[in-house]
Amino acid sequence: MSENGFAITTQSLTKRFGRKVALNQVSARVPVGSIYGLMGPNGAGKTTFVRCLLNLLNPSSGSATVLGRDVVRDSVAVRQRVGHVAALQPLWEWMTVADLAGFMAGCYPRWKPEAVFGILNRVGIERAQKIQDLSRGQRTLAALAVAIGHEPELLLLDEALTGLDPISRREVLRSVIEVMHEEGRTVLITGQDIADMERVCDYVGFLVKGRLIWESPLEDLKAQVKRIRIEHPADSPPDFPVGAMRPERATRETEFTVSSFKPELLASLAGAGRRVEALDLSLEDIFVDLAQGETNRPSSASRPTP
Amino acid sequence: MLNSINPKSAVPIYRQIMDQIRRRVAAGLLVPGERLPSVRELAGQLLINPNTAARVYRDLEREGLLETRRGEGTYIAADATALARSERSRLLRERLEEVAGEARSFGISDEVALRLFRDILLALHSSRKDRP
Repeated sequence: MSENGFAITTQSLTKRFGRKVALNQVSARVPVGSIYGLMGPNGAGKTTFVRCLLNLLNPSSGSATVLGRDVVRDSVAVRQRVGHVAALQPLWEWMTVADLAGFMAGCYPRWKPEAVFGILNRVGIERAQKIQDLSRGQRTLAALAVAIGHEPELLLLDEALTGLDPISRREVLRSVIEVMHEEGRTVLITGQDIADMERVCDYVGFLVKGRLIWESPLEDLKAQVKRIRIEHPADSPPDFPVGAMRPERATRETEFTVSSFKPELLASLAGAGRRVEALDLSLEDIFVDLAQGETNRPSSASRPTP
Repeated sequence: MLNSINPKSAVPIYRQIMDQIRRRVAAGLLVPGERLPSVRELAGQLLINPNTAARVYRDLEREGLLETRRGEGTYIAADATALARSERSRLLRERLEEVAGEARSFGISDEVALRLFRDILLALHSSRKDRP
């Protein structure tokens, strides 16, 4: 089925386009049964990552497995078990929705039209509608509907939520949640809408400039990345610890973000006349701080992911 | 039934939902024996990860607030109301601790802070009485 409970594994996956390094030694592991959010700023390498998994791009070095199969050697077998939806995916414009579903059905030995038309009916897309007449949200939903017809064990949604209206976004999320009710299904979502990701994802990876700088359960991320706030006398400000992110200092207040919070840290920062507290951060704040921390880092050093 | 959740909050989603259920049980809005939506329905309603929905039910079941009858669904447990009420003071305490910290950082004396709290409670009582 899969490699030790992981639907996707990559080993030092690297992709260069000329001189540009789009993916830099990415070693990611996506657990079976998770909804994994791969996040990162524009140009971080998220789409390149997905395209490597589908063998639409050849890695420059490193390797990847999907559902236990090597993505290059076994690309055909992988494609049979994976569903893929991309933003602004090219579809056959002249086809009707029914034509598209029929065409896709012919590509797979196993096909479940109820799943496809279940989504289409729910969102009010009619079979006779031409692809070219669909709105952007409807196109994505139609693409999603036909992407799950072969009951893929892994669904890759590449920026599928980006640019959709709120109603279409909800319908996409609802469909993803439905898919997850089948045992052992895994979903990888890339994108930037952090609120949506936070809703549905239980595992997160964060790419910055081609490097995977974080990968963990969402909960661990929130437990480990905290904003530390210290009130202190004006004449005895605390030092910023090594690796402190977004450091800020005023006369009697000091703040910074840490990425490996432990309760002991508070005790170590305590002192005469000081009041120390750890504040929870929203996912959005966490990612801004991590991304800036990575950008400010002297180039080569790489922090191992937890 | 459940309010929508706020994914942007720093409070984890599963805790937001757990607190909502607890609060409703404590307030008597959810009564013992009442059937809750299935994990699947809950995940679909709130648009959350089904694993999260399952975890909320599992944890509340462990607390004794919910009970799952095999093949039938999840229900509010018989003694859930009493449990949730005792939980209320804990939840309130957490909130008050925050406020107390704030009072300190504003440099407000304990007497003034207590007086403010009492005034607020009194104002609540009188506004209740004013209601038709």
